[in-house]
Amino acid sequence: MRNFAFAVAALALSFSAHAGNANDGKDLVKAKGCIACHGEMGEKPLAADQPILAGQYNDYLVRALSDYKSGRRKNPIMTGMAGQLSKQEIEDLAAWFSSQRKTTLHNQR
Amino acid sequence: MSRLLFNAVLAAALAFGAQAALAQAKKAKKPAAAAAQPKEIVGNADDAHRDKIAMCIGCHGIPGYRTAFPDVYHVPMIAGQQPGYITAALKAYREGQRPHPSMRGIAASLSDQDIADLAAYYGSEHAAAAPAEAK
Repeated sequence: MRNFAFAVAALALSFSAHAGNANDGKDLVKAKGCIACHGEMGEKPLAADQPILAGQYNDYLVRALSDYKSGRRKNPIMTGMAGQLSKQEIEDLAAWFSSQRKTTLHNQR
Repeated sequence: MSRLLFNAVLAAALAFGAQAALAQAKKAKKPAAAAAQPKEIVGNADDAHRDKIAMCIGCHGIPGYRTAFPDVYHVPMIAGQQPGYITAALKAYREGQRPHPSMRGIAASLSDQDIADLAAYYGSEHAAAAPAEAK
């Protein structure tokens, strides 16, 4: 039981330690160049094969950027873009894009 | 007389047969020539809806569904995504540029036509019919 409580506390701490800040993310979209291809809110990709990010799940966006950064996911453009981001910046960008409400993304019924 | 008739019929039959064979050969030649040039694949959302989305909806069709393996995070929303990105994503899984094990397995079973159909189904045109909802 004590172990369980410790695990819960550790889990809660690990979440809070990496909570993204959407306002910081908004600045990073411009500073890091995401805006050039995805649009400021991630709603307007430049090319047909680039994804809409607006309204996407926060943790999926964190996963995608982390995988690009680590090289688990390979893409000539995104490897370079994500490689320059810290873990906190990845969280902030994910918080910004996922908090956008104007999007065509939705849960398929 | 009957022999003459027989010969005439035989000749006609042979001529007809030869012509038919020639036409057949011509017909057979056409698709072979067409196959030499890459044909543009057009996605069909109805084909995807009827035959191909069964293995997608188990994860992508459940709002808020999370992956169980190897890491836990929300399965991305793909409805309303750009068709071109869905195509790129499935091909990247198929060619091993993206790591998720289940998606690699699923994408490996898809032809270019399957991918085009799924992209058309999940892509924005189809999504336009369904209202975007706040999560």
